[in-house]
Order: sequence, then structure tokens, then C-alpha cells
Amino acid sequence: MNMEKRNPRLENFIVTLKIFLRDPGAVFGLVVVLIYIAIALIDQFDPALIGLSNVDSLNPNYFNPEPLPPSPQHIFGTTYPGIDLFQGILKAIRIDLGVTFFVVGIGALIGILLGLVSGYFGKWIDEIIMRITDIFFSIPFLVLAIAIAFYLGRSIWIISFALIIIWWPTYARVVRGQVLYIKELAYIEAARASATKNYKIIFKHILPNTLAPIFVQFSMDLASVALIFSTLSFLGFVPTLGSASNVSSGGYIPELGYLSSIGYSYAVIGDWWTIVFPGFALLLFALSMNLVGDGLRDAIDPKFRR
Amino acid sequence: MKMTTYLIRRILILIPTLIGLTIIVFLLTRAGGINMIISPYLNPRLSAQQQALEKAQLIKQFHLNDPIWVQYFYYIYALLQGNWGLTKTDIFTGPVTTAIALFMPNTIQLAIVAYIIAMIIAIPAGTASAVRKNSFFDQLTRFIAFVGISLPVFWLAEILIELFATPTVSPSLDILPISGTVDPNLLQGVNWINPSLGISYPTHILMIDALIHGNILIFISAIRHVILPAATLAFTSIAGIMRYMRASMMETLNQDYVRTARAKGVPEKIVIKKHARRNALIPVVTVSGLLFAGLLGGVVVIEEIFNYPGMGYWTYWAMYSMDAGGIMGSTIVFGLILVTANLVVDILYALIDPRIRLGE
Repeated sequence: MNMEKRNPRLENFIVTLKIFLRDPGAVFGLVVVLIYIAIALIDQFDPALIGLSNVDSLNPNYFNPEPLPPSPQHIFGTTYPGIDLFQGILKAIRIDLGVTFFVVGIGALIGILLGLVSGYFGKWIDEIIMRITDIFFSIPFLVLAIAIAFYLGRSIWIISFALIIIWWPTYARVVRGQVLYIKELAYIEAARASATKNYKIIFKHILPNTLAPIFVQFSMDLASVALIFSTLSFLGFVPTLGSASNVSSGGYIPELGYLSSIGYSYAVIGDWWTIVFPGFALLLFALSMNLVGDGLRDAIDPKFRR
Repeated sequence: MKMTTYLIRRILILIPTLIGLTIIVFLLTRAGGINMIISPYLNPRLSAQQQALEKAQLIKQFHLNDPIWVQYFYYIYALLQGNWGLTKTDIFTGPVTTAIALFMPNTIQLAIVAYIIAMIIAIPAGTASAVRKNSFFDQLTRFIAFVGISLPVFWLAEILIELFATPTVSPSLDILPISGTVDPNLLQGVNWINPSLGISYPTHILMIDALIHGNILIFISAIRHVILPAATLAFTSIAGIMRYMRASMMETLNQDYVRTARAKGVPEKIVIKKHARRNALIPVVTVSGLLFAGLLGGVVVIEEIFNYPGMGYWTYWAMYSMDAGGIMGSTIVFGLILVTANLVVDILYALIDPRIRLGE
């Protein structure tokens, strides 16, 4: 007789991980995402390690402002005014990833809480919260983000705030759907019958079981938020980093969408590299994040387990 | 639930959504500050003293010192009366409603063409990947779908311009225009287009009007101008529609009547084309409208890059010129489009699939 105590959560995790690692796309995505995160962390804590300095600015070079094609000195070339694209992209990854993780993290937190409350208590609370999510889904994300940033200002905090406002309803809906299903299960009924407190049922018994679809949503949203954030700065909502130093130096803030927009007027006269590399860096991140999300879904969802 | 009950309930849900939409926009305009609201009405040529006087008068006229909920009712009242305020941008100055009437038809034209392109590509691709599940083709479309949802829209637009409209990068492919809706040289002596307003008659949608008047040259020019922005817009929604078509088709292929058709010896081609695909299409066509409307916000970027004078172009210029009226108006219009699309899709879906209205 095997009396050894086995941890079902750990076993489940190992099975999930094995299925995830079997998907080459997901593994590729995970590796790329980890590289991006590593770059962002190096930017933040020890930029000199990869030869960067002054990570809050793109270091314009007004003595040689015209874009130069890729060469051994500037492997991705330079963009106007004399900004080295390779260094610019490395610096931009820090801001893009920082904002993206911050927005999705806070948005998910708010959405999860409201979704739990909405699904668990039901009735008019549910009705009110779901009607509020309806309202936020009634304006295209990009248009709403533009409107919020337009009226409230364009510091990096306001733009993050705008994106959080847009993003929490998705989580509220996903979690609510899960809760509606879980709360009918026998073990919740048992918990209720034994007079367990509501908050304990919610956080101890329901929340852990809603996490799987949240992780999937989370990874896909990291891609979408990165795209919308850079689109906003492409359109002209270039975030200011709070300190006035950036504004006085021409506002050249390292951000991938912005990098892509300053090179654009040169791209149409032939300097293709000014837009190709920043956009590709963004595409690669979003694609990897989506591949990770898809791999996660396959690994977590029992329907796909064979 | 009966269909009429469902319809009534669905339309009643619309009311809080619309009120919420206007509350959000209203609160945003108020958060932006009084100056943003009244600045388009101020006469810049007046002296500072006179301006202060005028300002006080405008604040009174617009009830800006009243409690905020009173202001909201005045706001709703004005909206319902069609008094949407003024817009002051480099491309248009005048009432917001006039701007919408001018720019909306161009966006509708762009959206129609983009939707057609998206469906032409997504439906056959989705069908084929369902029929040949897990084949190389299926994997390829899956990968393309991933790229589709991961592509920054602005970047795709830039790359298309590099490929098709930049002589120094691709001399042989420099074939498409990247500005406006039609070649201005073709407009001489054409009496059904007002070139200063950029509006055509009778439908205001240039391609349709060109066909009505039998002017093939203008029609072709309009297509050449719309094709790049439309392809960009289409690409963003192809991924979703294609995956949805694949799922729907796989479900249909498992149905009993498909098995029956196969069993009685109907050729596979006809089983797929006539029996399965037609039924699989129904939910896809309804849902694709919603998917598409949700991504319509992308026109802000696309029309800006291609200098295509539609709603998105106007929104961009409103943003650029700090024009609160334009942002307010366009946000409400984009919201209304999405809300309407949602309503239509829900109703169509309930008509098609009785399970929806018979209960949750």
C-alpha cells in the first residue's frame, strides 16, 4: 500500500508544464518573452551591462541627424535625429513592458475582484457590474483610450490609467463566467452548508479554480496592451516620464510606437530600416505572448489533454 | 422566452448602455476643464478684457456653473436635439454633426471594402483548415492568424506603403496612391462631386455614386485609393473570422446530416460546399460583424497614415488640434456603431439559434 502523500496541485502543475513544453510555438514564445523581460530588467537595474546609458532618453545626435542604414557601428541603422535604433529598441522594451505588465496586472486585479463578487452574489450586484462592463465594451478600445488620454493628459500614469479602465471589464467577465459554473459544484455547497464565511469561500475555494483561464487571458492581454499602448504613442500620445528633462531634450522617449513614428517621414522616401526594426520588435513580443497564451490554454484546458 | 420578449429585453438593456456611454463621454469632457469646452466659441480677436466677459457669458449659456447632474441633463438634451457643439481642426471647422456627415461616408466605404476583403480571405481559409485539420495548411493559417492578432496596425500600414507606394524601396511595385479618396485630376467637369467638401451625391459613398453615374474612371481611382487602407483594416480582423469559421465548420462536419450525406454517396466536394459550409457560415457572418465593429477603432491609425478623410482621420486631427468637440463627437459615433452592431448581431443570432432566446 502506498501511503506516501502526494500533492495533487503539484502533480497537476507538472502535467500542465509537460503539455506546454510539447508545443514548439509556446516554447519559442516563452523563450522570446523571457529575453524581453531580461532586457527590461537589465535596462532598469544595470544598463551599462549591455552598453546603455541614460535609459530614459533616446540620446538624439543633432550633429548627424539624417538616418543611416544598418552598418557594423549601428546594426539596425539610425533614425532621425541620429538615434541608434538598436539601443533605442533595447531602451524602449523597458518602458513598453513596464507599462504593459503594470496595466494588465492592476486591470486583472480589479476585474478579478469585481468578477468574483458579481458571479458569487448574483442578483442586482451582478446586474449592475455586468451593465457597467457593457458600457466599457460599447466603445472601441482604441477610441476610448484616445478620449481618456485626450481629456486627462498624457503622462505615463494617465495613459496607464486609461488602459486599466479599458482592461478590467474583460477580467470581470471571464471570472464571473467561471464563478457561475464553480459555485454550483458540490464542494461549494458543502462549504456553505458548514457555514463557511462568504469571503473564505470566495478566496479559498473559488478563486484558485478560476486562475487557469485568467492566466490565458493575462498572457494574451499582455500582447494587446503592448500594441494599444504603442499605437497611442504612435498617434502622438507620447508618454512623458514625469521629469521635465525629456520634454526639454525634444521629448525623445524610448517607446517602440514612438520610435516607429519618428522614422516614418524618412521611411516614405526610402529609409525602410527606420520603421521596420521598431515595429518588428513589437510584433515579436506580441506574437510570442500570444503563442504562450495559446500554449497555456491547450495545457490547462482538459479538453485538449490527450 | 418568446422572440418578442427576447427582443424587448434586449432593447431595454440598450438603454443603460447608451446612458452609460454618454455619462462616460460627459464626465471626460468635464474632467478636461471648462477652457476645453468653450475655447472653440471664443473670438480670438477680442481683447483680454472682452474675452473674459465673453467667457463668463458662455459659462452661463452652457450652464457650466450648475451642479454636475444638471449639466448632464442639459448635455443629453443638446445631444438629442442634434446640437453636438463645434469642432475646430485643420481639416474641418464647423458643427460636429456636419463633420460626421462629411467624414462618415468615407469610413463606411472603407469598412465595406475591408469587410469584403476580410471575408473573401477568411471564409475559404477557415473552411479549408477545418476540412484538412492539422495539415500543414491548417498550421500555416493558424500561424498567420497569430501574426494577424500580433501585428501593430500602424506598422502593417507603414510596411504596405513601403512595398506598394515607395519608389525608392520597391520601384516595380510603386503602384498605389497613399492620400485622399480619389485622384483630383478626374474631378474636372464632374458635377456630382463637391470637391471643396469632398462629398459626392446622391449616396455620399464615392464608389457607389461613381457606379450610379457610370463613371468607371472615378470608380477605379476610388478603389485604388481605398485598397491599401482597406487591406490593412481587413488584416486585423481576418485572424478572428478565420478561426471562428474553422471552429464552426468543424462543428458542422460532425453533424448527423453531414454523415448521412456522406453515407448516401454525395461527393465530398458537394458535402463540404453545399451541406456543411452553408450552415457553418450563418454564425460566422453574424459574429464577424461584431468582430469587425470592435476593430473599427483601428481606422484612427489607418486613416491617419493613409491620409484618408474619414472619421478616424478627423479624430486624429481633433486630437492633434486639441479639439474637444471632435473627440467627443467621434467617441459617441464609434460607440453607437459598436452598440448597434452588438444589437443587430444579438437579434440575428436569436433568430438563427433558438437556444439563445430559450434561456441562458
